[in-house]
Amino acid sequence: MKQLLLSGILLCFILVTATTEYCEAQIPRERVQTDEPVSDIFWANSNIGVSTVRNLSAGNLNSTIAHVFGPVTGGIDRFYGLDDGANTRLGLDYGLTDRFSLGIGRMTFNKVVDLRSKYNIFRQSESGSTPLDLAVKFSTGITTLSGVGLEFSDRLSYLVSVMAAKKFNRFSLQLAPMAAHFNNPSPGNQSQLYGIGILTNYELNERFSISTEYLPVLGKRNNGTHNTLGAAININTGGHIFQMFFTTSQWHGEQFIMANNRDRFFDGDFRFGFNIHRVFGL
Amino acid sequence: MTESGYAEFESSVPLHSFTGESEHLTGMIDPSENLVDFYLDLNTLKTGIDRRDRDMYRTLNVEEYPFAEFTGSLESMFDMDSSEEQPVTVAGEFSIHGTTRSVRINGTIQVNGNELILEASWTLNLDDYNIEPPGILFYKVNEEQKIRIEATLKPKDRENLKS
Repeated sequence: MKQLLLSGILLCFILVTATTEYCEAQIPRERVQTDEPVSDIFWANSNIGVSTVRNLSAGNLNSTIAHVFGPVTGGIDRFYGLDDGANTRLGLDYGLTDRFSLGIGRMTFNKVVDLRSKYNIFRQSESGSTPLDLAVKFSTGITTLSGVGLEFSDRLSYLVSVMAAKKFNRFSLQLAPMAAHFNNPSPGNQSQLYGIGILTNYELNERFSISTEYLPVLGKRNNGTHNTLGAAININTGGHIFQMFFTTSQWHGEQFIMANNRDRFFDGDFRFGFNIHRVFGL
Repeated sequence: MTESGYAEFESSVPLHSFTGESEHLTGMIDPSENLVDFYLDLNTLKTGIDRRDRDMYRTLNVEEYPFAEFTGSLESMFDMDSSEEQPVTVAGEFSIHGTTRSVRINGTIQVNGNELILEASWTLNLDDYNIEPPGILFYKVNEEQKIRIEATLKPKDRENLKS
């Protein structure tokens, strides 16, 4: 018994000695000092209908499926707007570099095909050396509706938007002044529209966040239109981002939202919609 | 001491696989004391999708356990005078996620002038290190991860490495 105890103590001593020797011999462990961009200022490339500063890494492909249904004021007879059909946008964006992406999409209304690009001029850094994200977006919309007797140039509209965003702990704010131009606006409508997108995001936890967007039109606006307001819950499933929201505008793309929204949120004229975003590494 | 160090893992989920990599593998081989010591700051591993990276860091609990480490020795010494690629085996302790296991890893060493070029690969089982494979519903990351490292080492005075 005594011998067994002695052997045990000796074994323990050898193990402890070996471990200590390893530790003394090891090179000191040091963390790598990096200054990465702040992550998840917004959880997806667009919030509800307005683009965010979030961009794709080089070689990544983002697919988006966006739906906005009819007004919830349709009640149970219209299943709160779901019976009214959705304006659906299917989109793909591809990261050419870590700061520059190109995208294409197509929505139901007016069968608009949009081509867009986004470039991050600088990115908010974790160290605070760069205090905010700044990105610029260019987009061209092409109305492909047939039988309306329009020349190709008459079908075009353009948008430029400068997006400045900052994340404060769990809360993010984005201000995005923008200008839109329509080559051939409908009679009585403006060919130029200006607005400012005001977006927020608040992370409840790793899986859920709440976001809002407000897009007031500044200066002259189309008759009968109102500023768009929406609120969404974002769900991070690990592979997808689901955004379920209520918003006033049934349109996709900032220039079309500014030009066409005729509903007011606080009059109850809002709609249910959802976006699904998925990033693939190619 | 490493002049440059690269580490990668290959991970798979049903119908898909992806790779994570880092250029920050740090370590040394000390032939005089027969010591092999390497570590990797896990925060430097990138899979190409930032959200997946963050899920990975969370799974590995890198805030509490920032390093994957190996400390051990060569089972047989390699020939410093040969410029051929030589098979080697190291035995020692590998730690990740706060768990340490004894491992034997096969690799190769090549002497190139005053440099050593090391390559090794092995399979890591997540369950052995109490790492819960991340997943959604029925889809889970495979428990077996293929690890590969490459390092170029140059002579350096070890006394200068100790803080």
